[in-house]
Amino acid sequence: MFVIPDRFSYTVAHSVEEAVELLHTLEDSKVLAGGQSLIPFMKLGYASPKSLVDINRIPNLDYLDDSGESLKIGALTRISRLCDSELVAKDYPLIHDAALQIADPLVRNLGTFGGNVCHADMGDDLPAVCLAMNAEMVASGPSGQRVLAAKDFFVDRFTTLLASDELLTEVRIPKNRRGCGGAYLKLERRVGDYAIVGVAAQLEVDGDGVCRSVGIGLTSASTKPIKASEAESWLVGKSLSDEVLDKASTLAMNTSNPLSDIRGPAEYKKAMVKVLTHRALKLAYKRARGGL
Amino acid sequence: MVKVVKTRVEFEGRFRDEYTVVEGEPLEGWSPKSGLKIVGRPHPRVDGAAKVTGSAKYTHDVYLPGMVYGKFLRSPYAHAKITHIDASEAEGLPGVLGVYTYKNAATLGFGGAEKVFKQEVTYQGDVVALVLAQDESVAEDALELIRVEYEPLRPLVDPEEIMGLDSSKDRIVGPKLYERGDLEKGFAEADVIVEESFKTQAALHNCMETHGSVAHWEGDNLVVHTSTQSVFNVRSALSEELGIPQSKIRVVSEFMGGGFGSKFGAGEYTVVAAAAARLLGRPVRIVLDRVEENLATGNRSQTVQWVKIGAKRDGRITAIHLKGLVNVGEDGWVADLGGPAKMMYHCPNVKVELYGVKTNLVSSTAFRAPGYVEGDFALESAVDELARRLNMDPLELRLLNYATRDPVTNSEYSSKALREAYLKGAELIGWRSEPRVVRDGAKIRAKGVAGAIWWGGGGPPAYAEVKVNADGGVTVLTATQDIGTGTRTALAQIAAEELGLPFSSVRVVLGDTITELRSPGSGGSQTLASMGPAVRAAAHDAKNQLLEIASQVYDVAKERLTIREGSIFRSDGSVLCSVGELLGNLGDFSVTGRGAREPNQEGYMVNTFAAQFAEVEVDTETGTLRVLRLVSVHDSGMVVNPLTFTSQVEGGVIMGMGYALWEGRLVDGESGVVINPNLNDYLVARCSDVGEITPTYVEPEDPHTNSLGVKGIGEPPIIGVAPAIANALREAIGVRLRELPFTPERVYSAIKGINPRPTTAKYL
Ligand SMILES: Cc1cc2nc3c(=O)[nH]c(=O)nc-3n(C[C@H](O)[C@H](O)[C@H](O)COP(=O)(O)OP(=O)(O)OC[C@H]3O[C@@H](n4cnc5c(N)ncnc54)[C@H](O)[C@@H]3O)c2cc1C
Repeated sequence: MFVIPDRFSYTVAHSVEEAVELLHTLEDSKVLAGGQSLIPFMKLGYASPKSLVDINRIPNLDYLDDSGESLKIGALTRISRLCDSELVAKDYPLIHDAALQIADPLVRNLGTFGGNVCHADMGDDLPAVCLAMNAEMVASGPSGQRVLAAKDFFVDRFTTLLASDELLTEVRIPKNRRGCGGAYLKLERRVGDYAIVGVAAQLEVDGDGVCRSVGIGLTSASTKPIKASEAESWLVGKSLSDEVLDKASTLAMNTSNPLSDIRGPAEYKKAMVKVLTHRALKLAYKRARGGL
Repeated sequence: MVKVVKTRVEFEGRFRDEYTVVEGEPLEGWSPKSGLKIVGRPHPRVDGAAKVTGSAKYTHDVYLPGMVYGKFLRSPYAHAKITHIDASEAEGLPGVLGVYTYKNAATLGFGGAEKVFKQEVTYQGDVVALVLAQDESVAEDALELIRVEYEPLRPLVDPEEIMGLDSSKDRIVGPKLYERGDLEKGFAEADVIVEESFKTQAALHNCMETHGSVAHWEGDNLVVHTSTQSVFNVRSALSEELGIPQSKIRVVSEFMGGGFGSKFGAGEYTVVAAAAARLLGRPVRIVLDRVEENLATGNRSQTVQWVKIGAKRDGRITAIHLKGLVNVGEDGWVADLGGPAKMMYHCPNVKVELYGVKTNLVSSTAFRAPGYVEGDFALESAVDELARRLNMDPLELRLLNYATRDPVTNSEYSSKALREAYLKGAELIGWRSEPRVVRDGAKIRAKGVAGAIWWGGGGPPAYAEVKVNADGGVTVLTATQDIGTGTRTALAQIAAEELGLPFSSVRVVLGDTITELRSPGSGGSQTLASMGPAVRAAAHDAKNQLLEIASQVYDVAKERLTIREGSIFRSDGSVLCSVGELLGNLGDFSVTGRGAREPNQEGYMVNTFAAQFAEVEVDTETGTLRVLRLVSVHDSGMVVNPLTFTSQVEGGVIMGMGYALWEGRLVDGESGVVINPNLNDYLVARCSDVGEITPTYVEPEDPHTNSLGVKGIGEPPIIGVAPAIANALREAIGVRLRELPFTPERVYSAIKGINPRPTTAKYL
């Protein structure tokens, strides 16, 4: 019944420095990126910031750059760009899978990578991707820049390590080498819905198919985005037989602690973590070995 | 010569007598074999461009100078008494023009004010207060400043629970009974008996355009723009509530964003807007938001059904018994779940017992084939189980028990081509040519079938005028509504066909009581079958007048003249003149033809039929269900426009899929609070959820319905979708799901044999 947010001020930032300055000085401020999470929250009265700092007009925050050591994704990169990018489709199938399953084209045209991870809801798909890929999150604040590991970044539901006057500017993803492969699987009630559960898996295997490293991130499997660390450690050094994958998915299931809600009871979601982890690892493995 | 005729008219299975005033001779009936040139062709919608470019004006688009916004404060409780209410702070907010509660509602000046604003609220979303303000955000701010204290009372929302309570007998309505033959004898004769219980959920209409009205006064004349399926129903309600004559009220619904049964009359938002506009001397707009829409405008009833069917070993059905509970909310009506059980099959012994149960939820309302959608799910699921028990092909079983006369009245059908529809559908889905079940790893694909029956024959009163203007252009005047079905386009085709003038020269005016041309509400799949013949009769009258005029002007016998493609021809094929020339030369005269829907023929049962086949794919490890294909074959008489036919079927089938797979109001069983009154949590299908739909038809000749040989298509496509999917799912996983909707978790639990733990959130 409430469709109009409380009063707030609105300021456009034209540079990262200006944005940080505004966030620092304005009362109860929030970053406005694509607005696809923040605006609904304000409409529903879940959030009522007094000031918005619009970062959409900051130049050069929307990029995909793999010229260096890692794939660098600008915080303002729209999700639709991840869907359309050949680079992402070819070399980072995990990100591509996830992006294609987020919401609908309208939301993807506006929603940003930075916004999706900073919102840090348990149901957002990109945090699990960052966890599986051991991403680094680059933040700018009044006292300069810092780089945070994804595994530390997601503190709680809707809460990250960022201070209220810090801006996420970039996410760095380790470059995919030969033998790397990833996949994101998402179970939805209806196309475009938030996940019942989602599983991000990223693998590196050697020539014999033995797991060198692995990352598993889970969506909607707890109150916040989580990493299936036990499953990860168990997999390293093993050949990925069906039994091994089965054991790993059971470990991932045991790590999960989903809520019972409108998307299903906790027991069902747990069982689905297992099914999806198994399938995601299998697909990631196939891709790592050069299949599709 | 004017003639008054009394005739029987059906609406959604209920019959009543109506008078109609007809002029002229009955017209020769049209049929698919009449060689029609415009009717029967796929004409794109005449208003398509206006809709996609945004120039079509819906009620939501009406903003008038000086307009005031009305907003309701609604009860957060399903049942409570207001112990204290203080609006003074809200009244003091700058921009607020008035706040009304049960204490001062009478000053709004309309009859039913005390029924709208109550001290005891009986469902979540019930009206507590109204704010009138100069803009929408002030109105919302004011709502938050109204101080209300409630004494919560125990809500009852679950019909099964209520049936078991001695203290709640007054909440039970019925039984509504139907009986034919001798049920006991029927079951005694049976070799095989199946007994099944089913539950169906409440579904919300979620019209794209929410309910709303904009009212303003011009002197003592009231003009109301409103999103409605019946401008005349709205007008008579306003006349009664406001105490002013109907002829001083104009109700307009030029474009309309969907109704599905939920917009049949004036809502409280309509009456309150009109009363407030009178009080303030300014236009007042009340448009509901999505949450209000989903809490307070009605729904398809939740049901609990028990079906028992007996049959001989050869498959002949000997007895059908249906018992049903219908959750009618606060004070809804008991939709006829028994329709399919009574009407589908040739079965001599049938009994239907229905109970309505009143609950602390909003009153249920009509929703696309009310009752039949719910009842067909139960009946057609049970018939499928019967086929399994008999080891018969479910399609064969249906054909074996095919009714060739209406089993309720024993009258003849005006036409029935359901058998042809079944056979055509079977061919299209590969019922016999492809395997019924295919396994592919964790996935299983399978097919299922269901039949559907509905009404949609239409009838009087329905009047139209057709004006042929001085330049040869045509204006069709009616007061029917185009609720999104394509009525404008179909009526233009009919007028053009009858007149012999080009389709592009016809403009259709509708949705406005100012024409005073009585038309029925747009519902019951009747608009075309009621209005179409009236428009044809009016066009015929106009044509006659044109020929008469031409005959006198050019001194040629009228019988030797015809009109084709805008010109008047002599019998030797030469052109006499164009219609524009004829009328232009008469000092810009325009011809007005008048037409009425002819009376219904006596002794025939007019029904529409559908055969629906689903192919589904189930992921057995996750419970995810996808409908890969849905073939929907209809007997709706002659099809006037294959394009709008297709839209109706696609829309109905998608809505049926939503009902089967995703949609359902979730209510907290303890508090009676609706958990998903928004489009984020109440899941309406999106394009990518929907598989391939094949809408098609068999087109029987029907000389007994009306002068067009048409029957309705609005509701039939939704009816058999859920049971067709249910039967395909049963075929795939070997377990029958008896509760809608088939969520992944329910399918998963059924496959694994898990009994889901009861939760307080229920589909009610
Ligand atoms: C109908 C609908 C369906 C959706 N379905 C899905 C889904 O299935 N999966 C999914 O993952 N998401 C889904 N979303 C969410 C959507 O993907 C996110 O809203 C979007 O990605 C967030 O990005 P944004 O740019 O819109 O962020 P905003 O809404 O602008 O911001 C979100 C939050 O992040 C903060 N923020 C944004 N950028 C920065 C930054 N650079 N530095 C610091 N803080 C920042 C904001 O202050 C705010 O708190 C859905 C949204 C809608 C409306």
